[in-house]
Amino acid sequence: MEYLNKIGRSRVFGWGAIVVVLVVMCLLPFVLSGGWLSSVTEMLILALAGLAVNLIVGYGGMVTFGHAGLYAVGSYAFALLELSLGVPFAIAMILAPFITAIAGAVVGWFCVRLTSHYFALLTMAFGMIIWAIINSWYSVTNGDNGLFGIPIPEMLKSIPSYYYFTLIVVTVSAIIMKVILSSPYGVILRAIRENSTRVNFLGVNVRNYKWLTFTLSAFFIGIAGALFAGFTNSVFPQFAYWTKSGEFLVVVLLGGMFSFIGPMVGSVLFVFLDKVITAYTVYWPFVLGMILILCTILFRAGIVGFISEKVLRQGDRQ
Amino acid sequence: MDLYIMQAVSGVSVGFSLFMVASGLVIIFSILQVLNIAHGAFYMVGSYLCFWVVQIILSGVPANISFPIALIAAAVLAALFGGVVELSIIRPIYKSEPLYQMILTFGLAYVIADLCRFLWGMNFYTVTMPTFLAGPLVVGNLYLPKYNVFLIGVGLFIYIALLLIFNKTKVGMILRATTTDREMMNALGWNVKWISTFAFMLGIFLASLGGALAAPMNSVGPGIDAAVLVNCFIVVVVAGFGSIGGALVSAILLGLVNSFGIIFIPRVATAIPFIFMVIVLIVRPWGLFGKPIRTW
Repeated sequence: MEYLNKIGRSRVFGWGAIVVVLVVMCLLPFVLSGGWLSSVTEMLILALAGLAVNLIVGYGGMVTFGHAGLYAVGSYAFALLELSLGVPFAIAMILAPFITAIAGAVVGWFCVRLTSHYFALLTMAFGMIIWAIINSWYSVTNGDNGLFGIPIPEMLKSIPSYYYFTLIVVTVSAIIMKVILSSPYGVILRAIRENSTRVNFLGVNVRNYKWLTFTLSAFFIGIAGALFAGFTNSVFPQFAYWTKSGEFLVVVLLGGMFSFIGPMVGSVLFVFLDKVITAYTVYWPFVLGMILILCTILFRAGIVGFISEKVLRQGDRQ
Repeated sequence: MDLYIMQAVSGVSVGFSLFMVASGLVIIFSILQVLNIAHGAFYMVGSYLCFWVVQIILSGVPANISFPIALIAAAVLAALFGGVVELSIIRPIYKSEPLYQMILTFGLAYVIADLCRFLWGMNFYTVTMPTFLAGPLVVGNLYLPKYNVFLIGVGLFIYIALLLIFNKTKVGMILRATTTDREMMNALGWNVKWISTFAFMLGIFLASLGGALAAPMNSVGPGIDAAVLVNCFIVVVVAGFGSIGGALVSAILLGLVNSFGIIFIPRVATAIPFIFMVIVLIVRPWGLFGKPIRTW
C-alpha cells in the first residue's frame, strides 16, 4: 500500500499537462463529430462519478456497491424537480446534489459503522432499496418505465453547448475535490485508510471522518447523476441497480485508484473501449471482466499507476 | 388459513433452495476469506447445465430419468469448472486486501455470465419438470406443489449432510481448523492451498446444485445470476458470516418474509428483503448468529 501510495503522489501530469488537456478539451467540438462528442460528454460525466467513488475506494479504502443508488438519487431528484415541481433547470441542477448529499448522509451514517465486506454489502443493500423504491413507486417515479422529456434550456440543447456545460461543471467539481483532498482532511483520510486503529488512538473520530467522506462523495455523484439526466433527457431505475456501481468501480480501478486523476483516465478508456469493442463484438462484458481480472492480478495501481511506476523507476536510475 | 399455510410452505421451500446457494458462499468465505461475488454466476452455470442436459443431451429420455442425472452432472461439471477458476485466478489473490478480491470476483462474474450468453444465447428456457415431481400433493384441504416439498427435502438433506461432514469427519475437521487458523494449519504441514481449492469446489458444487434445482421452477436465462446473488448476500449478512446453521435460519426467514410480504404489502414487496437486511445490520452489524466484530 505504501509503495502504491508513493506512486499515486508522483506527478506524471503536472500543471502544464493539465492546461494542455483543458485547451484540447475546449477545442474538441471543432474537431469531433456529434457522435464522438456525445461520447466525450459521457466520459466527462463518468469521470466525475469515478472521482466521487474514488473518494470512498481509493482514499477511504472501502468498496462500495451502493453508489449507483446515490447516482440515481441525483438523476431522479433533478428530473422530478423539473418535471413534477416545475423548478427551473439551473436551480434543479444546484439542488439535486444537495438532495443526494442528504441521502448520502443518511445511508452513510449506517454504513460507516461497518468495515470491508460488511460495508460493501450494506452499501449494496441501501442502493438496492433505492432501486426498489424507484422501481415500484409508480405514482411519483413512473416505475420501471422511467421518466422522459426532462426540459433543458434552449441554449444547452445542442451537443457542443451541453458538452461545454458539462466540461465546466466537471472541471470545477474536480478542482473543488482536489482542494479538499489536499487539505489536512485529505491527509487524515489517507491515514485512516492505512491504519484506522492508529488514527483512532490519535484522537481522531474515524467514524465521523468516514461519514463526512461518504456525504461528500454522494454530493459529487449527485452532480454526475443530474448531469447525465440532463444529457439524455431521461432517467431509468437501472441507474440504481448494483451492477451500475460495478461500472464505477471499473472506471476507478482501470485508471488507478491511488491517484487523483486515475478515474478520469479510467473513464476515457472505459467509454472508448465500450464504443470500439461493441463495434466488433457483442461480448463487451467478457472483455470488461477480463480487464478487471488482469488489473487486480497484474496492474493494481491501474493505468496511471503503471505509467507513474515507470517514471519513478527511471527517476531512480538517473 | 389454508392460503397462509400454502404460502408458508412455498416461502420455506424458497428458503431452502436459497440456503443451498448461500451455504456455498458461507463455506468459501469462511475458508478462503474471499467474498465470492461470482457466486450468482456459478448458480447460473448450474441452471444452464441442467437445462442443457435435460433438453439437449438427453432430449429423448423421459425427464424422470434425465432430471436426476442432470442435477448431478450440472453440480459436478460446475464444481470442476470452479476448481479450474480457483487454481488459475483466485489463488494469486489470497493475501490481497478484500478490495481487490471483491473486484476480481466481480470481474469473474461478468466473464462467466458472458460465457453463458456465448454458449446459450439470450433466450429464456424452461426445463421439463419430471412427472413424479409435477402437480400438487394433497394433504386434507391443502394443495402443496410436490416440487416445493421436494426442495425442502433436498435442502434438509444437504443441511444434515453438511453438518455431518463438518462435525463428524476428518475432512470436516481439517476444514474447520483451516477456518480457525490458516497459518497454523500451514505450519502443521497441511497444504492449505489445496484445502482452499477443495472448499471452493464444494461451495461451487452447492451453488450450481441450487441453480440446477431451481431450473424447473423458474425459467433459465440471462440476469438470474444478479438476482440470486443479491438474495444470497442478504441471507449471509443477516445470518452473520461463517455460520451454516445461521444461513439456514435466515434463508427460511427471508423466504417467509418474501412470501407473506407479497400478500400483505404488495406495493413494497421488492424492497422488503433489503429493508429486512438493513434492520438486522443496524441492530446487530455482525448478523443474527455471528460473533461481534469491531465496528469502526
